[in-house]
Amino acid sequence: MRLRSLLRLASACCLPMAAEVSFNRDIRPIMSDTCFRCHGPDRNTRMAGLRLDLREEALKKTSTGVVPIVPGRPDDSAIVARVFATGAKVMPPAFAHKELTRAQKDTIRQWVAEGARYEGHWAYQPVRRPAVSGNENPIDQLIEARLTREGVKASPEAGARTLVRRVTLDLTGLPPTPAEMAAYLSDKRPGAYERLVDRLLASPRYAERQTQHWLDAVRYADTCGFHGDNPFPAWPYRDYVLRAFRDNKPFDLFTREQLAGDLLPGSTNEQKVASAFNRLNRTSAEGGLQPKEYLAKYAADRVRTVSTVWMGSTMGCAECHDHKFDPFQARDFYSMKAFFADIRETGLVPDRGPKAWGSQLLLPDDSQREKLRKIDEQTAAVKNRVEQKLAALGVFRDRWEAALADDTGRKELDWRFQRPVRAAAERGTKLAVFNDELVDRYTSVGASLVPEKKPGAGLIVASGPNPDNETFEIEIQPGAGRWTAAGIEIHADESLPGSRVARGADRFVITEVEIERKPRGERLPMILAASSVTFNAPGLAEMSVLDGNPATGWGVATYGERDPMLALRFAQPVETTAGEALVVRIRHDSAVRRAVIGRFRIALTSGRHSAPWSGRPGEWTAAGLSAPAAQALAKKPAERTEEQRKVVDEYLAYSHPDFEALTVELAQLDASRSLLEAGIARVVVTEPVEPEPTRLLPRGNFLDESGEVVQPAIPAVFGKLTTAGRATRLDLANWLTAPDNPLTPRVTVNRLWRQFFGTGLTRVLDDFGSQGELPTHAELLDWLAAEFVQPSWNAQAAHGWDVRHIVRTIVLSRAYRRASLPRADLDPRDADNRLYARQNRYRVEAEAVRDIALAVSGVLTEKFGGPSVRPYQPEGYLATLNFPKRDYSASRGEDQYRRGLYTHWQRSFLHPSMAAFDAPTREECVINRSVSNTPLQALVLLNDPTYVEAARVFAQKALQDGKADPIGWAFERATGRAPAAGERTVLTNLRARSLARYRQQPAAAQALANAGEYERPRGLPAAELAAMVTVTRAILNIHETISRD
Amino acid sequence: MTTHLQRRAFLGRTAAGLGLTALNTLIDPGLLGAPASTAARWPGAVSPLHFTQKAKRVIFLYQAGGPSHLETFDNKPKLAEMHGKPMPESFTKGQQIAQLQGRPLICFGPQHQFQRFGRSGQEICGLFPKIGSVADDICIVRSMHTEQINHDPAHTVMNTGSILPGRPSMGSWLVYGLGAETEDLPGFVVLMSSGRGGQNQPVAARQWSAGMLPSRFQGVKMNSAGDPVLYINNPNGLDAAVQKDSIDAINALNRMEHRTLRDPEILTRVAQYEMAFRMQTSVPGLMDMSQEPQSILDLYGARPGDGSFASNCLLARRLAERGVRFIQLYHRDWDHHGDVKVNVELKAPEVDQATAALITDLKQRGLFDDTLIVWGGEFGRTPMSQGGNGRDHHIKGFTYLLAGGGIKGGLTYGATDDLGYAAVEDPVSVHDFHATMLYLMGIDHKRLTVKQQGLDVRLTGISGDVVRGILS
Repeated sequence: MRLRSLLRLASACCLPMAAEVSFNRDIRPIMSDTCFRCHGPDRNTRMAGLRLDLREEALKKTSTGVVPIVPGRPDDSAIVARVFATGAKVMPPAFAHKELTRAQKDTIRQWVAEGARYEGHWAYQPVRRPAVSGNENPIDQLIEARLTREGVKASPEAGARTLVRRVTLDLTGLPPTPAEMAAYLSDKRPGAYERLVDRLLASPRYAERQTQHWLDAVRYADTCGFHGDNPFPAWPYRDYVLRAFRDNKPFDLFTREQLAGDLLPGSTNEQKVASAFNRLNRTSAEGGLQPKEYLAKYAADRVRTVSTVWMGSTMGCAECHDHKFDPFQARDFYSMKAFFADIRETGLVPDRGPKAWGSQLLLPDDSQREKLRKIDEQTAAVKNRVEQKLAALGVFRDRWEAALADDTGRKELDWRFQRPVRAAAERGTKLAVFNDELVDRYTSVGASLVPEKKPGAGLIVASGPNPDNETFEIEIQPGAGRWTAAGIEIHADESLPGSRVARGADRFVITEVEIERKPRGERLPMILAASSVTFNAPGLAEMSVLDGNPATGWGVATYGERDPMLALRFAQPVETTAGEALVVRIRHDSAVRRAVIGRFRIALTSGRHSAPWSGRPGEWTAAGLSAPAAQALAKKPAERTEEQRKVVDEYLAYSHPDFEALTVELAQLDASRSLLEAGIARVVVTEPVEPEPTRLLPRGNFLDESGEVVQPAIPAVFGKLTTAGRATRLDLANWLTAPDNPLTPRVTVNRLWRQFFGTGLTRVLDDFGSQGELPTHAELLDWLAAEFVQPSWNAQAAHGWDVRHIVRTIVLSRAYRRASLPRADLDPRDADNRLYARQNRYRVEAEAVRDIALAVSGVLTEKFGGPSVRPYQPEGYLATLNFPKRDYSASRGEDQYRRGLYTHWQRSFLHPSMAAFDAPTREECVINRSVSNTPLQALVLLNDPTYVEAARVFAQKALQDGKADPIGWAFERATGRAPAAGERTVLTNLRARSLARYRQQPAAAQALANAGEYERPRGLPAAELAAMVTVTRAILNIHETISRD
Repeated sequence: MTTHLQRRAFLGRTAAGLGLTALNTLIDPGLLGAPASTAARWPGAVSPLHFTQKAKRVIFLYQAGGPSHLETFDNKPKLAEMHGKPMPESFTKGQQIAQLQGRPLICFGPQHQFQRFGRSGQEICGLFPKIGSVADDICIVRSMHTEQINHDPAHTVMNTGSILPGRPSMGSWLVYGLGAETEDLPGFVVLMSSGRGGQNQPVAARQWSAGMLPSRFQGVKMNSAGDPVLYINNPNGLDAAVQKDSIDAINALNRMEHRTLRDPEILTRVAQYEMAFRMQTSVPGLMDMSQEPQSILDLYGARPGDGSFASNCLLARRLAERGVRFIQLYHRDWDHHGDVKVNVELKAPEVDQATAALITDLKQRGLFDDTLIVWGGEFGRTPMSQGGNGRDHHIKGFTYLLAGGGIKGGLTYGATDDLGYAAVEDPVSVHDFHATMLYLMGIDHKRLTVKQQGLDVRLTGISGDVVRGILS
């Protein structure tokens, strides 16, 4: 007895002492950790034919003639003999590196002596609602009964300020404002706390907070994860989750919609969006991948995610072998995988071009839908007219071809690259012109680019300052001539971080191009813009450079489009005389920062038919006829392929004067559609197709197709689904949320519990198997699980599977409201606070660290939902990404100050401030973030521009709004309490010393007083403000500010 | 002092929610009775060491993209003879292939001549004469093989021993196991350089992630441009004096809070702010190569601030001198699907001199004997041609170089078959390689484990044997 209680103290802290050994509590953990590896469920690694996880097996005589367990007779039981043996006979053997303690051995002995009673694994047993009585919160009844048994006194309720800050942070992820604090403190009527809780639960911030937790579980991210890690459209799914928590959607429906929204009868757009859940796994667009291998990876990810999130089961282990500890066989893994075999997908998921990301849903609102319809109708009509015109051309077609051949022969189509006489930038960029001068450029050798010095031939290279927006003015002297079009050829170069074409971001965007005659400033009207780019991303259409709107533009935002060329047709041919100069003005006014071209040439053409064409990558060509068109035209009409006929027709429509009006109209329609489309939300969704057969892959090897074909099925240990035909994802979802499924509610309420105490009732949130931990309060876990599925306590407003009801019940409990202060009397027996005699104190999560700083400083933008945003990020952080090579463009204006939840989630390079505070990359489902404490966190809070800017604005407001006592004002906003005298002294002294310094250093004061882009202060002396910034910055850095008490 | 047992107890808890917090709390000064300033230093989970330590630190010269073993360190005259002929099907049947899927498989002979170097007479491609000049110090392992044929997963296997995300990288394991010998710098530093080519491999932060270990063990990437370490530079208008003053105030406030709340995490926070400030002070000195004599710069071929592989090799030596445990340098430009002949010609000068210089320099400073130097990528390249002049990804056989602490110099170990396809003699898996690396550092790879989802997770998965044949 005594030995066993010692053991328990050492290994499981403070579980109740029972007279009798319990299999689940005492034996299974030992066996699972030390025996099952060789004597457990996995047939292939089982040794000596001995299996200990099933009683009937363990009682059988083995092949070597020994009986492992003889109930009631430890001395006749081989397992007892072996665990007490020494030397070569001892179990577990030395090579396992697992030694049993004396206490563990005694426990096994006692268990055998007591009859070796097995119990089914606790988590798989039906949920049993424990009897509770009266009106008192059952959480408190169950926790306090236990405390009483243990003879432990509960801590008192936390102070009101602490409690308000705690519950506000826990429910909304934001700290209370001083006004909210004051409102609570002055509410002396009964039920003040309930009212506070209900106000918080009704806030959209509550939904944002819950969504953040859920996004970890479902591995939500904004990029695909593998290799090029390009952004894919997922955010409408996040909006779906936000709405689900805001509207308190029943968890069973929430489950069905995500797993099988596409399969629900008459499924709505909302439900289809939810089905994006199945598409949030990492995908790869790496050339040369083996589709089958990646399809296996994608499917395995889904099995792991579903089994972890809903079942708390580590089914991923059974991909290569039967599970070592839990009753899952490889067959179960593949049967689960088979549920997802009907998802339309490819192994290589394209990350660019028209087929990017596979099945998607566009979500236009009514007005967008109507506009789209109109544009498409008009487009079809114009195209029809073009077709008719083409058909009616007859002999004129031959003439056009003849003229074209003639022009080509005389090189009349060629672009005349200009030798600029002047190149200047408006905002500081250095532009150098290389005419005959040699310039470094890269040519392609195999897969590599090789630098080479070549004459510039009119190349303009930008360097030096790199402003967010920039306008270039290039002056050319074309000589005497008559010009039909101007061209801008953009050069790709290894030195350019933005997809090799731009000086920043992942793209260039030219918003306007203007061409003028120099002396008179006469603007030369242009009517058509076209480019050599094969696929324009939505919102980046050529005609946008002529629309006079600085918000729209044309650009390239992907890899593989090298040296794109833009052609701009003059409304009337432009005549120039010798020595006359033209000015080409290229504007980059995009909201995307530094989407500015870095290397380019200007061209003119006098050809009637010149088209934009930039040849192969790295090849400088003057050809005004694309290679495919040239090839097609070189053939006799009758010998052309269908494709070639199309190319010729397109080219004809582009260049023949009779088609000009129609071509311009089409280009305008295309631009309108492109802009409209860019504004329409889209999201990857699950598109069901005829299921592919799913084979059991021996040892997880995708090359081995010898395994049997399996049908969708739940793990055999849980029984069988009865379905009419092949079981579907919807059947799976229905099983997961069936009223008698014991896992989903237990696993879910355990996760919810962790949100409010920092630890689960069983600490291992992601493993309810035998390697997990027994719940400290099994009855409480079951009560919560039962209450979740079918509310009955204080449940007037609740429905089945009601997340908010459980959350509310938890935070209303006395257990939740207790003070967290450590107690010397608890430390020796319950250092980890598993009895809940007090609350826990811990650092808030990454998103909340950010949100607190933004909220208390007053810069936070509160906006519910929408696309992801990009907080400031250190330069060059993405430098080792490729395909495309890219830089980062921080969001501007109010988007810069959104909650951490909305941060662009780049899987391979998660925002470094988020990563520093343990936000997971979400490459894989995560339901238990770690809470670390590192020097990098200190550097983030001290030096990340987000926090410096927040401190600056915070200081500004403290000086303006906290006039008499800015230090006290700021301290209270951040911590929810007034500073103590000692604290005030520290901050006052810091302020005074800083003030003295900044009075001596006006330039430094100016710099700090103007940190960031948020509205600048007016009427505050820089030194005063800078000194106060050091104070607010210190306040944002203290542990208390980022802790929840 | 923290006892081994205490640590074991805490490790046992890492599977559980509070385990990670506990790890941090474990080294809390309140528990250790040490002043906060040393509390940030992690003493290492392995104590005492399982084996005699042969190497105290690792410098891993990681050649991302997959260098061709056939144009570097694995001469295959037979392949040259077969040049242009179909690859015998006996070699390739049923094997994984990347971009060559469904294409004819044609033998493609080595594109450059090999020479013998040193007293040991090791065979090395003539494009690498400087590495040749230290041939007697290095061990050439020609029988490496791996299991993932695409870059990203293959990097993940090489760094973490697993394709599953969330596993700690080898540097994190080592710092977790051994701690570091520095209080001013992270124990695991990553340096990145690009080749002057267009196919520089994307390398995700996952490759130096601490996985399920606390984030204090993750690699810290140092940059030659911009901030050398993220957020290491003070904001504009805030100099070191104000920074020091501010940190003192923050720590004073935190200590007051600790007096009231007695939460040990607060004192850890204090220690981390002190460590952060020391990093801010020491990193600029580390990165400042102006004190290096010209002869040393010339030895490496380094131009300070150019971010080249050569400069990073020199920086690696400076990190080694300062007690960093695991230093990983990426060169990202080895994915030669096309024109492998020219491409290797272009890459060789980027790495040859600097690699040799690092060995020479460590030797002259007495650091060579307790530093393990590794050179290699995530896989090799096919003996079959791709596009007539390039090579595809290849996982069945490729070459690694090892040198320094505990490694037998002048040795060629293992072999691929006559055509350079599969490792057939003394094959070395990634897990074997990891097991050997840990062994040299004094760790039994089977005993360095952390619990996750019920598994005792280790760097070497469930396999791996120490490669005894390469030990000195």
